[in-house]
Amino acid sequence: MSTSAPPPPPPPLSPRPRTAGLNCPKCGAAISLRSFGQAITVVCGGCHSILDAKDPNLAILQQFEAITSVAKPLIPLGARGKLRGTDYEVTGFQRRSIQVDGISYTWQEYVLFNPYKGIRYLSEYNGHWNDISICKTLPTADFGGATYLGENYKHFQSAEANTDFVLGEFPWQVRVGEKAAVTDYVHPPRVLASEKLDKEVTWSIGEYMYGREIWDSFKLPGDPPKAWGVYENQPSTVATNVTGVWVAFAGFAVFLLVLMAVFDMHAKKAPVFNHTYQFNRAEAKNEPSFVSDEFELTGGTATVEVKSYAAVDNHWIYLNYALINQDSGQAWDFGREVSYYHGYDSDGSWHEGKQADDVTIPSVPAGHYYLRIEPEVDPSLATISYTVDVIRDVPVLGIYGIAFVALLLPALLISWRAYTFERSRWSESDHPPVQMSSSSGDDE
Amino acid sequence: MFRKLYLLYGLLTLGTAAFGQYRGWSLDTINQLKNVPKSVRDNPGSYRSVYSGYHHYTGGK
Repeated sequence: MSTSAPPPPPPPLSPRPRTAGLNCPKCGAAISLRSFGQAITVVCGGCHSILDAKDPNLAILQQFEAITSVAKPLIPLGARGKLRGTDYEVTGFQRRSIQVDGISYTWQEYVLFNPYKGIRYLSEYNGHWNDISICKTLPTADFGGATYLGENYKHFQSAEANTDFVLGEFPWQVRVGEKAAVTDYVHPPRVLASEKLDKEVTWSIGEYMYGREIWDSFKLPGDPPKAWGVYENQPSTVATNVTGVWVAFAGFAVFLLVLMAVFDMHAKKAPVFNHTYQFNRAEAKNEPSFVSDEFELTGGTATVEVKSYAAVDNHWIYLNYALINQDSGQAWDFGREVSYYHGYDSDGSWHEGKQADDVTIPSVPAGHYYLRIEPEVDPSLATISYTVDVIRDVPVLGIYGIAFVALLLPALLISWRAYTFERSRWSESDHPPVQMSSSSGDDE
Repeated sequence: MFRKLYLLYGLLTLGTAAFGQYRGWSLDTINQLKNVPKSVRDNPGSYRSVYSGYHHYTGGK
């Protein structure tokens, strides 16, 4: 029985590993290989020659013109950082683009290397970052979406991606000008991407990251570039809460109904005063005001409803009221108009106003009260009778109305924010929520 | 976070509505006065409503 010796452990990432020192056969610039045997191609930073990293002589595979298209990586090659608990070193950088409706959309990708964990990637587009790794199992995809590890992803976009610029080391045969068919499926904060090059399809899974996390991970100076717009797999801060908010709203609405029923049942709605008065202009000539009989309001602090009724017909009556506490001298002063007009004109019959009016006085404590009433009457009326009713402890339905609206508004606001966020997201996809019409004036 | 904030806000709203109903709040605007003299009971003309002399509506359409 033979035993084999365990394989030697991979070299540790820290302290900094040795790099293989080579020179570019084209320009002679020093080239450092950081990712050991993982690198398939390496790009000279001096002359942008793409070299075969597996060839001891670094055969030139391609040389691309980068004079006008040099892209500076936001994270410099060789930078090291701890990403999600694992140390990585940036070994490669490429800029890619797609063309949609004649517009070029460009993004950057960084190759990260760890001798234990291997390769992973960071992508950046308009300040939006993704932590990307190769899928461990094969996703299943159909026209509308894809499934990976039991999670469903919606198809977002299919396009042809072009490689515009490369720098550093790559674990594949990278070429500038290389075109790959890419398809993105989203399930925020994750994105599932397939990349088809010739007959080979590579699936990768990405998770949205904020620029600040990247900057902190790699201890980069300054601030990350500001994120513009909504990215395809950017998590919405509100969308995940919409259903919960509406469930809570439904609960609150039911509770509000229960509250209304309970207070309505417990409201006394007790008539405490009722009297019909006769206004006579001749008698009221000197002093129209008078006071009512005393009445008692019992219980705790509660509402008092004062109802006025007058059989006005194309006339008005105005009643200046003061509800006065005989014991404390506290008074509630208010005026109510009862008017009713009706007629017929070219538009047909019309009417305005009512022969009855009610008002609810808030927070009236118990005690002995009387009403001071000062009527003012339409000058065309010589006499008119009117009735005054006082009712103790009536529920105010308007409070429930205000509470309902107060509960509804934030739910609507959150839903609107979630809707506009998703609308922004999908407006950049192959499935925009609303087809934008052209402004060519065709609809005229 | 929004859901928690909304839950808190909703409870506060319901609590305020219940408290308002319990304390007899109203949506009508009523002017309050203190220390109205007892003499008003015998001499109503000594009190003048703040709404007295209000210019009233004098016709329909």
